[in-house]
Amino acid sequence: MVTLYHWEPNANSGKPMLALAEKGVRYVSRYLDLLKFDQHQPEYLRINPDGTIPAMVHGERVLTESTPMMEYIDDAFEGPALRPDDPLERWRMRWWMRFFDTYFAPSLSMIGWSIFIGPTARQRDPAELRAAIERIPLESRRIAWRKALFNEFSEDELAESRRRVIFATGVLEAHLSQHRYICGDTYSLGDINGFNLGYALPLSQPERCNDEKTPNIMEWLRTIYERPATRETWAKGRTPMAARVAMLERSGSAPKRGGGNA
Amino acid sequence: MLELYHWEPNSFFLKPLIALAEKGVEFRSRYFDPTNLEQFDPDFPCNAESRLQLEREGPVLVHDAAIIGSSFFMLEYIAEAFPGPTLLPADAYQRYRMHAWGQQIALSLASPVTVLGCARYLAPVMRPRAATLRARLAAIEPLERRAAWGALLEAEPGSAVSAARGRLRLPIDRIEAALADAAWLAGPEYSIADIDAFAMLVTLPALAPDVVNAAATPRILDFLVRMRARPAVRAALAHSRTGRPEEAFVPGPEASRWG
Repeated sequence: MVTLYHWEPNANSGKPMLALAEKGVRYVSRYLDLLKFDQHQPEYLRINPDGTIPAMVHGERVLTESTPMMEYIDDAFEGPALRPDDPLERWRMRWWMRFFDTYFAPSLSMIGWSIFIGPTARQRDPAELRAAIERIPLESRRIAWRKALFNEFSEDELAESRRRVIFATGVLEAHLSQHRYICGDTYSLGDINGFNLGYALPLSQPERCNDEKTPNIMEWLRTIYERPATRETWAKGRTPMAARVAMLERSGSAPKRGGGNA
Repeated sequence: MLELYHWEPNSFFLKPLIALAEKGVEFRSRYFDPTNLEQFDPDFPCNAESRLQLEREGPVLVHDAAIIGSSFFMLEYIAEAFPGPTLLPADAYQRYRMHAWGQQIALSLASPVTVLGCARYLAPVMRPRAATLRARLAAIEPLERRAAWGALLEAEPGSAVSAARGRLRLPIDRIEAALADAAWLAGPEYSIADIDAFAMLVTLPALAPDVVNAAATPRILDFLVRMRARPAVRAALAHSRTGRPEEAFVPGPEASRWG
């Protein structure tokens, strides 16, 4: 049996959700509200003492790192392969996942927190927030949450994050102008990772990511959104954040078909 | 054709040298000096991914037309692409642990280790050349790699060094704990996770004796002895030209920008 502890289909939580859906693996879903700090409650800390989400329990095995977790999902379960066979393409998949995880995502989320999530969270009692932060097990996560909740990002940090998002968007657009997916013609964990990071880019970065400036990113996002597993996974979202995915719906006349109405 | 562009067998450069020796794969050694910034020369092998160097600096493997960087993923490539011992555990959950260690070592251990190593060995030889180097660095892309070298030329690394020392403890405690549960990091089988960890741990008894020592981390010290006894590790270390590979450091990945 597989139990997945997750938040919204977004960022790290969405990675195993979408990978499991692509494999056709049924799992028990345990939704944790990240913004209510469910992940730092004692019952969850018994599963993952680090208090980070997602976590996946497969029989006796506990997995807590989302990108390695996706490799495990492809490794351990039947269903369509989500990694290319060629070692070079697998290397490329892993390189891009690391680029998304350590370069693109942290910059994008810093901007997202400073603009969207932080202000909402700050409507709560500051003393309560501070107490919630003190319950976080890992010091590095305490520092990150303090910055996020009290908007302690410096203008320099935010400017650097904006620069990196612009740069990374350009690197991704250039790659997708040469390749249909992260690994050429093969849909893989690299695309699942990238979609979780970037599905809302056209909304959060409308000046930088749009049909004129990044047509290849737009086509890539829409193609992934059309997959049944993606629809099924994003339908599990409970907040307006996950609902943003609907903007990837192709407008009425847009879909290209083999013949007929061009 | 297989060529490995590498420097002294330490940190990132040590990893593929061990893995190729474990596999018994013939390769052409292309020794270069990253402290002379030779990796930015126009004829150095380069593609979109290797130019960005998420680890900042490190080895490059050229296999026929393919250019492969990023040291842990290079280990996976070597494990998957060549015959010989697999270097990957047979069990899926142990392979998960192997991947998770590769990630944790890259994200939590490599940064403090390279900060400490660069502050002690690299910065003192770079600073007297600061004027010449600054002029060359100005032309380097991407910005992150230029900044990593530029930071070495700044006069006061004190706060970065003490922060790095602090950041060492968590990954070291976790490695010590894992080695209490099993002989190797991913489980009972030796794997590329051990090669990856060894390359980052091997200098710590000298660089951070307050963190890695016989009393605090006996299992890590035993792990280092077991690794050093492997013929592949000896063969890798024999690629040293200076005789002091443990002093050879290049800038590594940045600390998390979130804190």
